[in-house]
Amino acid sequence: MRRKLFSLFAVVMIAALVLGACAKPTEVPVVEPEAPVVEEPVVEEPVVEEPAEVDPWADVVPAKEIVWWHQHTGTEREAAIEKIISDFNATNEYGITVTAEYAGGYGDIFNKMLPILNTPDVPDVVVGYQNQVATYQLADAMFDMNELMDHPVYGMSKEEQEDFFPGFFAQDVLSLFDNQRLGLAPNRSMEVLYYNMDWLKELGYDAPPTTPAEFKEMACAAAATPFSGATEGAASPTGYQLSIDTSRFASWTFAFGGDIFDYTANQFTLNSDAAVEAWTFIQGLFADGCARLVTEAYGDQTDFGNGTLLFTVGSSSGLPYYGNAVEADGTPFEWSVAAIPHTTPDPVMNIYGASVSIPKSTPERELAAWEFIKYYTSAPVNALWAKASGYFPVKASIADEVAAEFAGNKEAYATAIFLLPYGVFEPPVPGYDFVRDNVIEVVMTSIVDDVTADVKALLDEANINANTILAEQLSQIQ
Amino acid sequence: MESNRELITTKHRGAFKQQALRDQVTGILFTLPALLIIFVFGIFPIGYSIYMSLFNWQVTKGPYVGGQNYLLIFGSWSNLLVLLAGLGLFVLGFFVWRKAFQSLNNGSRLAHIAGALVLILGGVIFVTGWGLMYETGNKDFLNSLIVTLYYALGTVPAEIILGLVLAYILYQDIVGKEAFRMIYFLPYITPSISTAVVFQIIFSSRETSLANQLIGFFGIDPLRWRFEPKPVLNLLGFDVSGLAGGPSLALLTIIFFGIWSFVGYNTVIFLSGLGNIPKEIYEAAEMDGGSKWDRFWHITIPMISPVTFYLTLIGFIGTFKAFNHIYVMRTPSAQNTVVTTSLLVFDRFYKANQYSVATAQAIVLFVIILGLTLAQNKLMGERVFYG
Repeated sequence: MRRKLFSLFAVVMIAALVLGACAKPTEVPVVEPEAPVVEEPVVEEPVVEEPAEVDPWADVVPAKEIVWWHQHTGTEREAAIEKIISDFNATNEYGITVTAEYAGGYGDIFNKMLPILNTPDVPDVVVGYQNQVATYQLADAMFDMNELMDHPVYGMSKEEQEDFFPGFFAQDVLSLFDNQRLGLAPNRSMEVLYYNMDWLKELGYDAPPTTPAEFKEMACAAAATPFSGATEGAASPTGYQLSIDTSRFASWTFAFGGDIFDYTANQFTLNSDAAVEAWTFIQGLFADGCARLVTEAYGDQTDFGNGTLLFTVGSSSGLPYYGNAVEADGTPFEWSVAAIPHTTPDPVMNIYGASVSIPKSTPERELAAWEFIKYYTSAPVNALWAKASGYFPVKASIADEVAAEFAGNKEAYATAIFLLPYGVFEPPVPGYDFVRDNVIEVVMTSIVDDVTADVKALLDEANINANTILAEQLSQIQ
Repeated sequence: MESNRELITTKHRGAFKQQALRDQVTGILFTLPALLIIFVFGIFPIGYSIYMSLFNWQVTKGPYVGGQNYLLIFGSWSNLLVLLAGLGLFVLGFFVWRKAFQSLNNGSRLAHIAGALVLILGGVIFVTGWGLMYETGNKDFLNSLIVTLYYALGTVPAEIILGLVLAYILYQDIVGKEAFRMIYFLPYITPSISTAVVFQIIFSSRETSLANQLIGFFGIDPLRWRFEPKPVLNLLGFDVSGLAGGPSLALLTIIFFGIWSFVGYNTVIFLSGLGNIPKEIYEAAEMDGGSKWDRFWHITIPMISPVTFYLTLIGFIGTFKAFNHIYVMRTPSAQNTVVTTSLLVFDRFYKANQYSVATAQAIVLFVIILGLTLAQNKLMGERVFYG
């Protein structure tokens, strides 16, 4: 009997494979656009008239109840969200009531969204990274905010739009989808260089490095000369610790004047001249013993706090944690942040953060969601949110106010805020998470693990792999 | 009289049939809830996965593409055929060889030679098919199969041997054996995510990590453990690459975790198996002058073979499906040397959102596990001694 069952199962499996094999091979699965319905032409006298602009929002009344899925936790953030929501519910002129729901982390929200795209079950406002929203848009499931951005009644004024830091405002406009605006930034973080000022002084420098050459000189000096305030028994001194993280890859490439994506050709450019130059430079740091890899999660933070690491690059959202690490063992030292050493005339800073987006539903729900997002990103509300969350504000007009009230290392925070106008971003494309983990982080390891490896050849191969993944992702654009 | 008897017999037969039918219906009704659960949560997902794998299914369901997603793995159907032909010949050669061993007639030598030749031919064709697949198919998937195999071979035999040894020790009259049993079983019942995080810290590449301090006592320089993609044999100074290089140090660290985590479970199961061996057999062997080793080798091992078989089977299936601790312990630095097939499928599904590609890979993994289970059943099952 068992043998028969196995045989039956084997036959079913083989049949499935044979059926599959018999299917017409599809080289690149592409959804063909639906053929336009051809109707019999109605013969009428042609009336030549100027086409009147019909406002599709003229008769739309915002929905009364909308839902916002977010990922924020923590007492301060939750209290801030509660206040923002209650203020909006009490003051908005359309009587809209927003319900904020914690829907898990970014990944949870992403996985919850995928099966309900283009159904009435979607939330009206959802938090998401740009590449996640781009993935939703593969199914044409997101509302293009350009429709309302400049609307005479519901739109955002030019002043309000220009008040956003330029990089933040541009980040949610997706070139892959005809420059549709699929989100708006309520907060951001930025990759910065953390440095130990006391150690730099001991090494004979009075300011952090601004160029890669200076950076290398200082890092190598630190690797050879321990800091006097280092914690006893801690790791040996290191100039720089690199964590294998795609944001580091992007940050250093940006700093060398390049980008990892070409927004005109919509292709990855991991092997650009700047990227090769940047990663040859990093490889050189490893070859000369001036840099090493981060040994464990946040290990660079620990070593920085212990005074055994001169430089590290990380998110500005880590400012309070670096502060804690420095204070932790009772021998605090002077530290701050700076721009990542660059070959460009101005700094080029890698900014990131999730945005708020509107899934497609009904015009009423979309309009109500837009009204809330407009409120949430307005300057006074954004100031409240930035102070409570510890993120950077997205509006230039409130930056000083927020910096003045920052609870931690004020000097570091103010320096970082000063760098916000120089922000650029990583590619908002579907499948970026996969490219990050499976291509870029692998190539980063290969470059620094074998200091004799050919950086150009490795990046060439990585670029091909990344673009193959991108092509696979885009094969289903609807 | 005759007709009365016939009537009674017919009536009895009818009642018997009715009773049998009632029993059948009752039986089916009792099994129905379990069947429903197995169908809904077991059979249906497998069927649906096969269905998904035949489409270009990313964020939403796309067009029907037939076996295209399978072709991405194999490169071409002919590659798969070559590989299967090699496998088939290998199996055939094995059976011929084994039959020859069992046979006592004069033709056995010839059968031996024939079996050996078919085995070699099967092996060559299998390797050729694998090479073709590697050239034109999905290298990541094929690499992940090798990593999974390393992981399985690294953990299961060690778990079995250590489990048996520990069980045998605990079976003796030693003080505090109950406490030892509990201690050995603890890693199995502790959530693997949390223990994997502890292993992360122990096997950190930091100079001051516990593992590095431990090897420091023996004068060995700090190692990168979970971050080291180089094969262990390379680190030991052997200049080997490819399959012969063996698992990376990063994978070996994960193998340590696998062994540590499951050896307690094996110990407990072996202990219950040891308890079922009649004491009289040992006594008889002792009276006949059998040493401790003889008793272990000639009584314990055969008598416990059903348990060994069960644990090996479960162990291999488990290692091919292992996920949680590998997911927690992997690092980007280890590159693809720790990416087992289940992790690869997960990444394709959740990070690349290529549902159809991921399900095709999962189905191939499923078929491999099924094949290995059947092969193991055939090879080991016949050697099991059920008393």
